[in-house]
Amino acid sequence: MPLDPANSTQLREPGGSRKPLPPWASTAALLVPTYGWLTLAVFLPLCTMFAFSFLTATPMGKAPIVFTFKQYRAFIDQPYLLGVAWQSLLMGFWTTFFCAVLGFFAALALVRATEGKVRETLLILVLLPFWTNGLVRVFSWTMVLREGGFLDYAIHSVWPGAGSVGFLYTRQAVVVGLVHGYLPYMILTCYIALVTIDNTIVEAASSLGARWWTILWKILLPMAAPGLISGSVLIFVPVIGSFMEPRILGGRVGVTMGTVIEDQFTQAFNWPLGAALSFTMLAVVLGIFATFSGVLRRGTAL
Amino acid sequence: MKIAARFYIAAILAFLYLPILVMMAMGFNESPLYELPFSFSTRWYQALAGNAPLVNSGINSIWIAVATSIIATVLGTMASVALSRRTFRGKTLLQLMLLPPIAIPWLITGTAMLVFFFYSGIGRGLHALLIGHVALAIPYVVLVVGTGFQTVRADLEEAAMSLGSTPVHAFFSITLPLLYPSILGAALFAFAVSLDQFVISYFLATPGFSTLPVQIYSAIRKGFTPEINAISTILLVGSMAVIVIFALFAKPGGVSDKR
Amino acid sequence: MTNVEVRSIAKNYGSVPVLTDISTDFTQGSFTSLLGPSGSGKTTLLRIIAGFIIPDQGNVAIGGNDVTRMPVWARNIGMVFQSYALFPHMTVNENVAFGLARRGIKGEESRKQVERALELVRLPGFGDRKPKQLSGGQQQRVALARAIVTKPSVLLLDEPLSALDRRLRQEMQVELIRIQKESGLTTIFVTHDQEEALTLSDKVAILDRGRIVQIGAPTEVYERPKTRFAAEFLGDTNFLTGTVVAGGIRLANGSTVAVDAPLPATGSEATVAVRPEKIVIRDVARGGKDTDRSNRVSATISSSVYAGTALTYEAAFDGLSFKIFAQNSDARPHSVGDVVELTWSPLHTVPLEAAA
Repeated sequence: MPLDPANSTQLREPGGSRKPLPPWASTAALLVPTYGWLTLAVFLPLCTMFAFSFLTATPMGKAPIVFTFKQYRAFIDQPYLLGVAWQSLLMGFWTTFFCAVLGFFAALALVRATEGKVRETLLILVLLPFWTNGLVRVFSWTMVLREGGFLDYAIHSVWPGAGSVGFLYTRQAVVVGLVHGYLPYMILTCYIALVTIDNTIVEAASSLGARWWTILWKILLPMAAPGLISGSVLIFVPVIGSFMEPRILGGRVGVTMGTVIEDQFTQAFNWPLGAALSFTMLAVVLGIFATFSGVLRRGTAL
Repeated sequence: MKIAARFYIAAILAFLYLPILVMMAMGFNESPLYELPFSFSTRWYQALAGNAPLVNSGINSIWIAVATSIIATVLGTMASVALSRRTFRGKTLLQLMLLPPIAIPWLITGTAMLVFFFYSGIGRGLHALLIGHVALAIPYVVLVVGTGFQTVRADLEEAAMSLGSTPVHAFFSITLPLLYPSILGAALFAFAVSLDQFVISYFLATPGFSTLPVQIYSAIRKGFTPEINAISTILLVGSMAVIVIFALFAKPGGVSDKR
Repeated sequence: MTNVEVRSIAKNYGSVPVLTDISTDFTQGSFTSLLGPSGSGKTTLLRIIAGFIIPDQGNVAIGGNDVTRMPVWARNIGMVFQSYALFPHMTVNENVAFGLARRGIKGEESRKQVERALELVRLPGFGDRKPKQLSGGQQQRVALARAIVTKPSVLLLDEPLSALDRRLRQEMQVELIRIQKESGLTTIFVTHDQEEALTLSDKVAILDRGRIVQIGAPTEVYERPKTRFAAEFLGDTNFLTGTVVAGGIRLANGSTVAVDAPLPATGSEATVAVRPEKIVIRDVARGGKDTDRSNRVSATISSSVYAGTALTYEAAFDGLSFKIFAQNSDARPHSVGDVVELTWSPLHTVPLEAAA
């Protein structure tokens, strides 16, 4: 059955005579919508806000536009901001600390005490809340922590005479809400780091007579370090910029850099100050990212 | 040791889920002041129907999420084609440019949008929200679809072209069907990102046009009522459903060529 | 009759030349191998003929038409890829019918042609399976059927057998020759496997660093390599370098090697190649039978590797080392330290072109 090439059917495709677009043109056509959109919605706004941070006041009407560096001196001119910044850093520190401790052991427990389908299911269960609305989860804590809330109810049912232990509208409440929000992140990054540890290493160590705390300190913790560090960065950064959690759970004491910045935009209308504070915070964030970029790349690679 | 570890995991899960379950339960409690003991009632869900601002903002949220999902998926997939299948200078820079919307705290991105949109005449409201939500969702789409591209061999399109397909026909007849699970996953992801988005929406919403999370936030700030529990439960169940569907569809290599 | 013609093709990637001044013809119905090590430009040349790469210079003509600027999809080629590139979401039938549909052939006519193509590759009845349900060899056959069902002007094969294991590979080589002869398609085959190239082709083109160093029938390129590279890449070779004298070359030690081929000018330096299997070992001490081969040197066996049907010896003489392949037919294999005489014919002493 010879196939005669001379009888080959002609291609119907009209492309034969038409020249295709040059590759750079089609590549550009594919990229322009996305990057145009990002420019309009993210990069131009960030540039504008950066320019704003050098203005004396929010431009309104015919008032002349005057450039200044004074917004960046806010921490000197308004010393109360130093206290707020300190509170924000403390909040970031405690949240990260509790996430690290709880998350590391949760990841360790998952890796060492579960396997197969059970482990997979548990991991999904741990991560699922992370993809649900943060606002709703913070609101959930008000139900638990408020005076006469679920926590009080649970304690009174055991010990009827106890007073209220509800601590809504305190800094502790804010930290609890934030830990709840970001714990899954830490469990995931630690899990990724720990799951690669060969079981035989641990067995070898214990066969050599190592106690469990020696194994923990000398083997498990160092090996989980990349996960702990990347988890910490990924938690610390959004936490110091949070404003919704402190407002809902902290009430009047929930004053953080996040809420101060929000106030500048929604209440005080001092947009240049808000912009300067935002960029100061962004500089801190970028500094943290830059410091740990190597670890982050390794720690988050799934 | 193992028993302690399992107990600990159970405790962590309790910490993660108990408050949410309590919140959900309180939405079915008769008492407007969350008083216990519990007595089952659907009155707060019935009350929701009459709460026009909440219902309207819920409808707004869904529409914005649908529109965001469609726009971000189309644009992000296009960009992903170029980033995955073409070689050109500056690609690394373009890939890095996807990070700011994800990594910069939303508070900063949101306020920056507020400032720029105000002075550029874009203003606030529906279109501003849409611009913001799509920008936040696009990087996720590019990343998810880009991961999908890794499972679709580049020579399949070449094979199609050698058989007479134009590049466009090859893309639509070969690559797109193979990429379909990733694209669907990306679309659901974009939908979830938009539906749950609060910070950006908070700065770009107007009193006349807001989304459900913004409405819930202002309701919480005014004072707690079980109606908030009811609507929160609905939002939570909705977004969990989207994520579960996403997890089912976006399994790496779900329908792809594994050879 | 020339079917595919490439003229003065050049291609650079940045400042790196990948192909330099390639010109050659592919005769209608012939099977040509492009053979070379990785980086020699063989795949680039194939992809230029296919249309995936546009050359910086030169022209490609298929069936007499200049197609240099014509996109892949309009060229009417058939191509089999290294990884087969079967569409995983389509059945075998849909895969094979894909190219037909692009040519407007649908329905019953398409079904018939697909069936015939699957018969040709000996996979009748596999049409409803998905590629994943087939073995590597079967996928290979489907890829071949898909490439030839459209009756392309030229069939391009990009190392299609390299993913198969040895046994399956030999089986597919036989099949490939049969299918090519039956279909009568002009075929261009890229490979880095010299044995495969010699077995399959009517013509072998050897590529080195972006140039075709030699092109010809398998026996021609093997027996009469033109350059050191061609001689080395196609099998093992011994090289001898000396000064050209009348009828041969004189080596450094003063002995003369007769050459039965045109040589460069007397007095210039020249290198000749001698294939190891052309050399016959005569055991001087044991008074082995003399032959009429006029080139002879005495040497000492320095190593011997036994491989059942054959033996590979190395023999040293005067600071040079010879490799010799011998059938395992001698009464007793030679041992290391034996003093022997190596003899070979001037016909098998091939002068090489000086390196470019």
